[in-house]
Amino acid sequence: MSTQTVIGEGHVERPPPLVRWYAEHRRAVFGTLVAILFLLFWEGLSRGWWADALRPLIGHAADPLLVPPIFISSPSRIAAEAWRMFVVTREIWSDLRFSAMEYALGLGAAIAVGMPLGLASGWYRRLSYAVGPFLAGFNATPQVALLPLIIIWVGFGLAAKILIIFALAVLPIAISAQSAVRTTDARLLKVAHSFGAGEWHLFRTIILPSAVPFLLAGLRLAVGRAMIGIVVGEIFGSAVGVGAMINRSGSRFETDKVFVGVLVIAAAGMLLAELVHQIERRVEAWRPSV
Amino acid sequence: MATAEIELDAGASAHPSTLARFYREHERSIIGGGTLLAVLLIWEGVARSGLVDPLFLSSPIQIVKAGIDLFEGGEIWTHIQVSGSEFLLGYALSVAIGIPLGLATGWYRRLSYLLGPFIDALNAVPRLTLMPIIVIWFGIGIWSKAVVAFLGAVLPILIATNSGVRTSEARYLQVARSFSASELKIFTSIILPGTVPFIFTGLKYGIGRALLGVVVGELYAATAGLGYMIGEAGDTFQTSVVFFGVLIFTATGLVSVGVLDALERRFETWRPKAGAAS
Repeated sequence: MSTQTVIGEGHVERPPPLVRWYAEHRRAVFGTLVAILFLLFWEGLSRGWWADALRPLIGHAADPLLVPPIFISSPSRIAAEAWRMFVVTREIWSDLRFSAMEYALGLGAAIAVGMPLGLASGWYRRLSYAVGPFLAGFNATPQVALLPLIIIWVGFGLAAKILIIFALAVLPIAISAQSAVRTTDARLLKVAHSFGAGEWHLFRTIILPSAVPFLLAGLRLAVGRAMIGIVVGEIFGSAVGVGAMINRSGSRFETDKVFVGVLVIAAAGMLLAELVHQIERRVEAWRPSV
Repeated sequence: MATAEIELDAGASAHPSTLARFYREHERSIIGGGTLLAVLLIWEGVARSGLVDPLFLSSPIQIVKAGIDLFEGGEIWTHIQVSGSEFLLGYALSVAIGIPLGLATGWYRRLSYLLGPFIDALNAVPRLTLMPIIVIWFGIGIWSKAVVAFLGAVLPILIATNSGVRTSEARYLQVARSFSASELKIFTSIILPGTVPFIFTGLKYGIGRALLGVVVGELYAATAGLGYMIGEAGDTFQTSVVFFGVLIFTATGLVSVGVLDALERRFETWRPKAGAAS
């Protein structure tokens, strides 16, 4: 906005197209530039570009600028490793399949339990009193601490992973569903009541439609939290899965592989969040915008 | 809500007894406490009946006993000390960096262009997945956990602070500018007070993230700490000890958020309440 004043010396009406394009996309241009510089800096650190360049000037003081790739890897090494794992040996696909399965089952269970529970405790005041202490306590607990208990209960297998993902994802869903019902427009409810609408009718035509944005917002939170479960759940006694791959590679100092795994999980998380976002837009299209 | 009121009115006569009145005033605590008590009793009962192996279930009394043993044994103090310092170090660091950086990126547009890509990228990565790399960098001592806790907590704090600055009331800014207030004056008298609620939201969110970081870090690689204790106890099927460790974390989370709530109320007493005057 303020660029208008900077570039507008003399002719405010029509800045050249290139300048205009820059002004419109400044954020993106700047961001890309910074990202590229950062990647170059990183690559240079592990290849010793900066150490070599500065050594004539400051001698051995430049040595810390050469960081062995075992510590930081490098963008090119990570890209090469990703190519190898995805295309050449295709070793990552079985990990991906396993993690995706536990993720889908865990998140699915969290939705199946969290949404009805949240909706019900938003609707029935006494139920919310009854489950309140449990929700608050569970919310204050780092749910990951339950992992040793879960392992005692169900062992190291798939069930343990599903349960930990469930434990991480269920609360955001339940809590947002609860507040969704609570914040329903009271006037709408009154009107419906006075026209003698039944509970089920109220629920279906007023509560549920107005709850959808909250439910989806909770889902978006849960999608991210559940990603943690993949890594944490596979810390112990897991042979397959992206999290297990990350942990294994970390203990073997295969930093490149760790970064590939981290990026895969980050990408999956962003993709899912974007998916929920698209659903939100789709679902909200009918609502008159304020 | 509306339905519950109707239900109640149908039952209550014109002169409710004192007992009914007491119940109605404290309904939330009575139902909440009652349910909690019932669950504990059923748990204890099932554990004693022998229907389920106590190895799996433990029981409330056994958990309390395990807690007393742990404190009498004295070993737990080391774990508390280690986890406590990890949590405090990481959280203090994330407050010390997150709030100033959030204020700065909210205030200086150029800075937000510069740091925005990093903040967004880091925010998109579940930071706990970086655990193996952080252990390579910082070893398995206190610092790797402090760093994980820091990474978990700093972004919520930073992002909340940043959005607090950016959503400052534009009218106030315009008024202040037209009375030619200095930038510093604007910052301290408009931006900062307006940002406080956002900062507290971030701080509360950060507590959970920092605790999560400490637990995961200690489960992953550690030689001491409550998370380590839980993991060890799990391996040796000391279910009561695991439960007690989890409860310590729960209590820490509840107390920390409670303290922040109290602090927030202190900071917010000056603010006129929204809504009707009565």
